[in-house]
Amino acid sequence: MNPSNPPQAAEYGGDEVSAIVLDPGYSTTRAGFAGEDAPKSVIPTYYGKYSHEGQERLLFGDSMFVQPRAGISVHNPIGKDGIVEDWDMAEKVWESSFASRLTATKPGNPFHNGLNDIPSEEFPAEMEVETDEKPLADNPLLMSEPGWNPAKAREKTIEIAMEKWGTPAFYLARNGVLAAFASGKASALVIDIGASNISITPVHDGMILKRGVQHSPLGGDYISSQIRALFKKNSPQPITITPHYLISSKTAVEAGQPPQATYRTFPADRAPDASYRALQEERTLSEFKECVVQAWPGPNKLSGPGPTGISNEELARSSPGRPFEFPDGYNQVFGVDRFRVVESLFDVKAAIPDPDSPVPAPTQAQTLPEVIKASLAGVDVDIRPHLLSNVVVTGASSLVYGFTERLNQELMSLFPGPRVRVSAPGNTSERRFGSWIGGSILASLGTFHQMWISKKEYEEHGANIVEKRCK
Amino acid sequence: MAAAADVRDMLDLPAESQPRPHKKQKVVEKRPEGITRELYALLGERAPPIAISENKYKGRPKLLNKLRVRPWRMSPFTNGARADGLVLNHWQRKHEGARQPAPEGTQMDVDVDGTKEEGKEETKPLEQEYTFAKYNVKAQLPRRYTDDEYSRHLRNNEWTREETDYLMDLVNEFDLRWILIADRYEYQPRMDTEPEGNAIVPAKTVRTMEHMKARYYFIAATMLAIEHPPSEMSEAEFEWHEKMLKFDPNRERDRKELAALQLNRTADEVREEAMLLEELKRITSNEQSFISERRELYSRLEVPVSVGNTAMYQSSQGLSQLLQTLLQADKSKKRRSILGPDGAVASPASQTPTQAGGPVSRGDTPSANAAAAAAAANNNNKKGPAVPPVQPVVRQLTAAEESRYGIQHHERVTAGVQFRSDRAQKLTQAKSNVQTQKLASALAELEIPVRLFMPTERVCKDFEKLIQSVNVLLEARKVSEKVESEIRVLEASKAERERKAREAAGETTATDPENPEVKTEAEDGTGVLGSTAEAAGSGGEKREGGDGENAEEAAKEDGNHKRSASVLSAVSDKSNKRQRR
Repeated sequence: MNPSNPPQAAEYGGDEVSAIVLDPGYSTTRAGFAGEDAPKSVIPTYYGKYSHEGQERLLFGDSMFVQPRAGISVHNPIGKDGIVEDWDMAEKVWESSFASRLTATKPGNPFHNGLNDIPSEEFPAEMEVETDEKPLADNPLLMSEPGWNPAKAREKTIEIAMEKWGTPAFYLARNGVLAAFASGKASALVIDIGASNISITPVHDGMILKRGVQHSPLGGDYISSQIRALFKKNSPQPITITPHYLISSKTAVEAGQPPQATYRTFPADRAPDASYRALQEERTLSEFKECVVQAWPGPNKLSGPGPTGISNEELARSSPGRPFEFPDGYNQVFGVDRFRVVESLFDVKAAIPDPDSPVPAPTQAQTLPEVIKASLAGVDVDIRPHLLSNVVVTGASSLVYGFTERLNQELMSLFPGPRVRVSAPGNTSERRFGSWIGGSILASLGTFHQMWISKKEYEEHGANIVEKRCK
Repeated sequence: MAAAADVRDMLDLPAESQPRPHKKQKVVEKRPEGITRELYALLGERAPPIAISENKYKGRPKLLNKLRVRPWRMSPFTNGARADGLVLNHWQRKHEGARQPAPEGTQMDVDVDGTKEEGKEETKPLEQEYTFAKYNVKAQLPRRYTDDEYSRHLRNNEWTREETDYLMDLVNEFDLRWILIADRYEYQPRMDTEPEGNAIVPAKTVRTMEHMKARYYFIAATMLAIEHPPSEMSEAEFEWHEKMLKFDPNRERDRKELAALQLNRTADEVREEAMLLEELKRITSNEQSFISERRELYSRLEVPVSVGNTAMYQSSQGLSQLLQTLLQADKSKKRRSILGPDGAVASPASQTPTQAGGPVSRGDTPSANAAAAAAAANNNNKKGPAVPPVQPVVRQLTAAEESRYGIQHHERVTAGVQFRSDRAQKLTQAKSNVQTQKLASALAELEIPVRLFMPTERVCKDFEKLIQSVNVLLEARKVSEKVESEIRVLEASKAERERKAREAAGETTATDPENPEVKTEAEDGTGVLGSTAEAAGSGGEKREGGDGENAEEAAKEDGNHKRSASVLSAVSDKSNKRQRR
């Protein structure tokens, strides 16, 4: 196709108005232009706080992982349940996600770019163009929110977008709906495995069914806590995670041997906060999740009997293990344990107990099958079979190896009657940014432009309009 | 690279006597563009397989080059589906010829402070409707009731006016998508209307989707009826009205309960259902195949139209000859080629009694052929005459058992194979066509098909008997007809004679006593004939003799009657001859 020709409008019904799509999550905040296939800007929602020369400084984005600043502490403006707690900081984090890369590259004032410098200082000062421009003055903004976002938080969001960022048009969409759109479905049961939460959102005709929305805290962070519990109980010796920033050099050691590394030390007054170390450890753990952790694909639970009479645990033990090397050089092959850390998402009895962990032990009602069951119980019986045949899996933690197979097995054993069909994109970025991509599709549709809440409407009706319009 | 010699060595081919003369190959490699001749020479003969190409800007296709560049520009637009006139910007091809905006004009457009230029441009998009505005469609809903209409038609004890309004608002908001309406339904009755009711919190009634639907359909139907009375409704409207009035929430609720039951079946139930369905499928397919097989069978039962002359195969000899030739052909074709000249495995033909005659001849009965053959084989192996354990296999059957198993004993077995039905068929074919037709008509009268449906042994026997008796009857009829005509002739001649006598003289008394004699004679003859006809099947020849004697006696008795008797005997003689033949 000749790229100089635009696609026919009838082909995809698109009409791009350079809208920005912002998909804030607990772990990362995604932002980009609508109509693109991946967010241009993905930054951690965590921000760093440190004091420099007596002044409090904030640090956003990936840069805080690079250099541990003296006394840096890490915070997250979003609470464990996915609802914003610290609005001031949330606004700053979100703004930094688009302002740093998407909207900041506007043509500068021609008087200041050095090309039009007049040697003599005779230019009048009142010709200065007003610089206090709002960051989103030209771009409509589509934001996503979890399905259980309270009305107050929604109103606060539109206030920020309209008044602080000055967007001409705004819309607030549920991330479940967007994830369903990303996989081309208007009606779906969206299973979002996020960092802090897993959420089940039934979507009907592009709108969520509020009574079916369920969430439970067994997300990626819970899996991390299970991995930590596993490391504590490791058999030759407990494994301690030393993040990269604390290692200055390491030498290779045999598997299972104690690490030989030289560590970086920080003086007590310059040492980063424990939260910083926890965040850095989390990065190692997510690497561990990507490389080692595996969900038992079924059929049946890990502790249950296998199809041939041999217990599944035996089968899992017989499969070859996976090696992992920690930043300090310690390495070990993980056998059946790599299945155990995710097993408690499905089977609460398989949870690895850890009394010291800040994450409470899961309950039966929080496991994925129970949450799905509760969600479906909340919707009308007529659409349940349809939802079950349109299960959309999204969220980065769902990328755990074998997760979708297991989910499929669990759903089939839960609902043996209706046809169960799980659609999970194989592409990693489509799974990670599912709701962002859906937002990108939605905001670039020509038919969507009638749904924006314009600045005029906001000024007329107030923040309450978001409840009426973004249903 | 493998040389030709290597290949030959691998394939065990004799070495070529003299090496082939090398082909003179002159590789003229073309020097790619963009490389100087000197540089190319440095590369030597074998240039590395790296494509040396220069990245060149290809430019627009020539056809497009001739056209003028049509620029795109960010242009504002309004959406007709919006009420607030929100202006958004999108990229659009600039309209040619309409207006040539100054380059700074576009710049200003993007800038914040658009002055008069922007005002001009805003007028343009208003001329053309926004492409996507047409997709802004709402569900067609009935007109909202007025206060008067509500109080007159729509009052309901269960629904307050406020709640009805709330429901109608929701229906409007969600375009009749009941699943969403039921999901978002959160009606909070206003408390401030009753000042003293702060102690009694009204129990929150849970509205199910069925309640809402029933209420809405009632309202919609009523409004429709108010708008157009049922007598004036169009057909579609009337149907709609009926449908809405007939909505039964209880039935709907029951249906949903059943649907939930169906959804929450256990794995065992699902398996059982699948099994039953499979069974049903099997049964129906079996039935289908049975029907088709039956049809095929029927079509085979139809007498095929014979193409060639099959007369030579109708007789048993012909059939056996055919069998022999077929067997010969079969043997010479297959057996020999597969098993060699002397087949190790006995051919199926050797199992027939005639071929296996040698060892079997010692067997007592032909019906025990197989057992005897086995015994014989045993004998041969053991080379001893004592075979008591094998012998008891042959057992005598009682008459009842024999008939049950269909075992028959023939005194004289004809060679070859013949069909029982053919034998029965042959009986119906008489010598003359007339006779055959008569037989057929007699059978038709008895409602017996010419071709037997079930030619079992017993049926064939009975059929044979039947045909014989039909034949006898036919003979009898023929004879009786003859006799009757004879009598008629005689009576006529007698009457003639009497007339002549009366004419000649008045002597009437002299001839009178003779007449009864003639009659008795005639009666006698028919009586004898009847008896012969009765026993004609078994012993025709014997009777014939009797017949002849009778006739002779009659002839001796009276010369007048001699003629008739001889005629009679001649008739019976003829018929007997025919039978014998």
